[in-house]
Amino acid sequence: MKKPCLLIYLIIFFDSLSFAGDGDYAVSKIPQVLLKNADAVVRLQEVRFQVNNTREATEWNHYVITIMKESGETSSGFADYYDKMRDILSVEGILYDSNGRIIKKMKSKDMEDISGVDDNSLMDDSRVKRHNFYYKAYPYTIEYTEVIRYRNTLFFPAWMPQNDEKISVEFSQFSMICPEEYKFRFRSFNYPGEPEVSTDKGKVVTRWSVHDLPAFLEEPNSPYQNEITPCIYFAPTDFQVDNYSGNMNSWQDFGRFVYALKQGRDVLPDNVKTKVHQLSDGITDIKKKIQILYEYMQKHTRYVSIQLGIGGWQPFDATYVANKGYGDCKALTNYMYSILKEAGIPSFYTLVKAGRNSRPILDDFPSQQFNHVILSVPVSGDTVWLECTSQTLPSGYLSDFTCNRKALLINENESKLIHTPVYGLNENTMIRKVSAVLDENETLKVKSVTDYRAMQEDKLHQMIHYLSKEKIKQNLREQLDFGTYEVNSFDYTEELSSLPVMQETLDLTVSNYASATGKRLFIMPNIMTRSSRKFGMNEERKYDIVFHAEYRDIDSAEILIPDGYKAESVPRPVTIESKFGKYSNSVILEGNKIVYYRLVEQYSGRFPAKEYTDAVRFYDNIYQADRSKVVLVKNNSSDQKSF
Amino acid sequence: MSSKTYCILFAFCTLSLFSAGQQPTQTDAKYGKIAVADFNINLNSLDSNADAVVIADVGSSQILGNSKGWFSLEFTRFRRVKILNKSGYDAANVEIYLYKDGTDEEQLNKVKAVTYNMENGKVSETRLDSRSGVYKDVLNSHEIVRKFTFPNVREGSIIEYEYTVTSDFLFNLQPWGFQREYPVLWSEYNLTCPEFLGYVFLTQGYQPFYLQDKKYRNARFHVADNYTSNRSESLDFDAQVADYRWVMRNVPALKEESFTSTINNHIAKISFQLSEYKYPLQTTKVMGTWPEVCDKLLKSDQFGADLNRNNGWMSDVVKPLINGVSSETEKAKNIFNYVRDNFTCTSYNRWNLDESLKNIFKKKKGSVAEINLLLTAMLKYADINADPVILSTRSHGYTYALYPVLDRFNYVICMVKADRKKIFLDASQPRLGFGRLTPDCYNGNARVVDMKATPLEFSADSLLEKKSTYVFITQNDKGEIVGKFTQTPGYYESHTIRERIKEKGKDDFFQTIRKAYGPGISELFNSKIDQLDSLETSVKIFYEFKMNQDSNDIIYVNPMMGEGYKQNPFKSAERFYPVEMPYVIDESYNFSLIIPGGYQIDELPKSEKVVIDEEGDGQFEYLIAESGGVISIRARILIKRTFFQQDEYEILREFFNRIVKKQSEQIVLKKKS
Repeated sequence: MKKPCLLIYLIIFFDSLSFAGDGDYAVSKIPQVLLKNADAVVRLQEVRFQVNNTREATEWNHYVITIMKESGETSSGFADYYDKMRDILSVEGILYDSNGRIIKKMKSKDMEDISGVDDNSLMDDSRVKRHNFYYKAYPYTIEYTEVIRYRNTLFFPAWMPQNDEKISVEFSQFSMICPEEYKFRFRSFNYPGEPEVSTDKGKVVTRWSVHDLPAFLEEPNSPYQNEITPCIYFAPTDFQVDNYSGNMNSWQDFGRFVYALKQGRDVLPDNVKTKVHQLSDGITDIKKKIQILYEYMQKHTRYVSIQLGIGGWQPFDATYVANKGYGDCKALTNYMYSILKEAGIPSFYTLVKAGRNSRPILDDFPSQQFNHVILSVPVSGDTVWLECTSQTLPSGYLSDFTCNRKALLINENESKLIHTPVYGLNENTMIRKVSAVLDENETLKVKSVTDYRAMQEDKLHQMIHYLSKEKIKQNLREQLDFGTYEVNSFDYTEELSSLPVMQETLDLTVSNYASATGKRLFIMPNIMTRSSRKFGMNEERKYDIVFHAEYRDIDSAEILIPDGYKAESVPRPVTIESKFGKYSNSVILEGNKIVYYRLVEQYSGRFPAKEYTDAVRFYDNIYQADRSKVVLVKNNSSDQKSF
Repeated sequence: MSSKTYCILFAFCTLSLFSAGQQPTQTDAKYGKIAVADFNINLNSLDSNADAVVIADVGSSQILGNSKGWFSLEFTRFRRVKILNKSGYDAANVEIYLYKDGTDEEQLNKVKAVTYNMENGKVSETRLDSRSGVYKDVLNSHEIVRKFTFPNVREGSIIEYEYTVTSDFLFNLQPWGFQREYPVLWSEYNLTCPEFLGYVFLTQGYQPFYLQDKKYRNARFHVADNYTSNRSESLDFDAQVADYRWVMRNVPALKEESFTSTINNHIAKISFQLSEYKYPLQTTKVMGTWPEVCDKLLKSDQFGADLNRNNGWMSDVVKPLINGVSSETEKAKNIFNYVRDNFTCTSYNRWNLDESLKNIFKKKKGSVAEINLLLTAMLKYADINADPVILSTRSHGYTYALYPVLDRFNYVICMVKADRKKIFLDASQPRLGFGRLTPDCYNGNARVVDMKATPLEFSADSLLEKKSTYVFITQNDKGEIVGKFTQTPGYYESHTIRERIKEKGKDDFFQTIRKAYGPGISELFNSKIDQLDSLETSVKIFYEFKMNQDSNDIIYVNPMMGEGYKQNPFKSAERFYPVEMPYVIDESYNFSLIIPGGYQIDELPKSEKVVIDEEGDGQFEYLIAESGGVISIRARILIKRTFFQQDEYEILREFFNRIVKKQSEQIVLKKKS
């Protein structure tokens, strides 16, 4: 190992010399264009990733960053994790002042070593090394050189030279170094041209570089980062983890590896086998059978994440889960698979990249892009989806955590990408009916009944299942948009199905809901559903506008008002249609009853940046329409002066 | 003191009650002893909303001779919990925090844990494999956490565990919280304390003890020394020990509320502070009087020893800061600014040093104690009269004025006497001005660490957050209705604004104001913010705006222009603990509107005054007048104290309700016909 290290250091040294002239990171040398909007400037970054063999790889990461001001502090230190599959071999750090003169070098005892155990995990083996010079005389420059050894080749790092807003890049380079016989794979975004390829002592070096990237500013509802800055993803062909090897030339190949990891881990203990048959034999409806067994699994297990070594990839076997009553997504999914298998129902362990609105996987780039496992069960042309880490979701429903995306179904030799259920405008609905009475003291008594469906239900589902009733009451008392109010009662009932519906019933008393000034009464007929979406007006939009989830809200309300008022001003009905969605409302005063109706439809999609002002107008108009007020005047006082 | 008497009296009563017979004196729960009937406990009387209930939580601490020539603490705990629903599964994940210093670390032993489930009318049990199932996570150089989770947990499971922690750190005698996130049926703590070790007992909270007991007996101690000499020496002796016992029953779960400095002040809890070693040990005061403690602190390497050294290493930095400056205050200010602007605070929860001041000086980072002690040393080096002050922040909890219990402190600031004035400094907070402290420091008593151990008082009532706003609206020559907005927010609001602007910039700040306005405002211009860098004072915000004019016959204007309270800060209808606000408030709002040509007043809000009590501790005034075509409003909110009892809560809530209501009222202008 010693020799190549030395060689690489020489190269880095040489590179920085050739780039930064006399080794000077003076701030004065930063091109003017890179200073605009920049909290930090990447002066130089060079990453070299070397595949030593299919078991092992080495990464050298050398970077020099100038911190322009306090808000650039997030780029100022060093932090990286290590675990059984990844060692940090060495780190060196240097601090420079604004003239590029060395102030000091990092001492190894100044490196902190802390636990890296994930908050969601009971235990894993990751730890974090971190360091910071804590220098505050801006601007200043830091330089770190890190060497990492990978004890596996499952993942290759991605290269994203500009990984955040307000950071500009003077020069950044990534080199992939492989033995001549080894083929790696890559997929590039926003990278003009082709990499440079050269050969050095029997190794093929493929090199990408960028220079002079000005800082960009984030915009709300932008496309994903990899779609707006240069980014290259890498993946192996042949790879190895522990004693498992595979290749990633195709999804089938990758699937074979995942299959091998879980193969033979589906043996259930006898008592569970007996239970499976007790519960499901004799039931002919397959979906019903799945539901019963899924509910059994939910009742007898819970999610506990323990990720140690290969355990990060390989599920605990079914017997372990049966005995302990817990497991992570891999273990629980494999357990459910085993239960269904015992009942004679074939199902598939399915890898997915989970997370609400998470970036879609690159579906034409077979590689390890997943962080979660679910189970798919084909039933006569249809698929029943099971999220096995949840003790509460209904059979067949995937929440916003995994819906609307591609996933990799694992089958011995026929793994393939499939699509998880799509929940759209017609599924994600909220239908609310409000009946309210306003008394003489401007106090409003509100009874609302709301049906939330599919993705609109997800948050409430979490709330009612994971928070105590006490906490729910407290939340309701604090989170509704009224001045002073009381929650007299609340109730949630959930209809469990493959498109679950949560019915919320609230009984509220709102003090001074209407505001009275002398003979007038101002009242907002939209009591509970006011849009809060607002885009900044004066911005010049650079990126496309993206809306992820679709939904439809329908509100209707009846408000009884005290006798003796007539309308002075009633908002005119509003109907707005746009590419982004649809809005309409109407307010009618019938005797002493205000009848209100509202409809919102939000479409998903990607819209060109030039349509930004349309979006601003659309959401501003909704914002405004949602807050319009009815003005009422006392019948017999219209001629009186109030002062 | 009075609470102590109360407790003892209470124990008396309850004890005599038992002798009459019905009430239990022990919990039936014992590790490994479970019966079907144990699943049928009725919990509804205590808290029908609970996710889990602690059937029994019993801890015992004793002090034993060890084989290192001294004494160790042995703490055992048994806990049995019934899990009522899925939200209660969290109770099945157990974390035990241990302390570590160098190679000496607290040891966790004898972990046993078992889950019981009712299956077909019988109790089934699943044990934890304590050899492979107890994980160890080294958080940092002083903290270790040991963790395990229970197998086979379901709704309705009963889980129980038992463990022992052995510790060589005599100061770390385990405190006991009787109240936690789940309701507790039986919470008991036993302490066996030899008379040769003196501990001060500190109790707090509102829950009464159900049982309280103390009995003396003789016990034998065996101390061996296997370390310092080749052949092991040992000593056996008898000493009197006291067996203490404290029990609470049916303790409700803790509830978090807003406007509480810290829930820690309200938990029913007992904690201990090592105060002295007595015969047959060499008599030593561990906790002396305040002057003794301060004297020790000043000599300690972990606090003040560096303050009075020569500290020549800082001369290159300090000298240029004071050269040519004559006023002591100016000198102090230069040094303060230097420390604040060049050092990073990495922990706001520390009263002692972990490193020498020289190292801190080199590393440019440290805890609040390290930074402010360094500041003190640098001031002293410049011949300025400076002393450290220790205190406990509000979020950390109350301290005792009488007992020098250092564990209760978590923060160090610096007191300077310059030009015959006392100035308090905190260089650990970025952008906090010279002579300013955060509201978190205003938590009652504090101590100057000087030879006299001078007591200080930082009362939240003495901290005023004063805000004034001026709005002027008129019609311009184009016939548009335009306004000017000028505001001086309170100092702490200014501090927050400074933080935000540092992070996101001025544009974003005004953009947010623009967004917050409803549809009534069409444009914001000429915006600026002054005094952003004068950290000792408030910022000043200016902008002008244009109002949207529908060509209607009627104009409705809410004169608060987005200022004021749209929601009652006291949301919940119920209150369990007193209300503690960070400072007293004086907010004034001045509004004038020149009635646009062609319009006349149709309706105005009425003037109003609301007071909270006879003393006028809370006042709201809203005065409106019209004269010569100008409508003017003067509104003011005054809150003169920060602490309100639970029974005052309803009044306080109603007070704000009236404010929200008044501030929502509108001016109505009508076109002249």
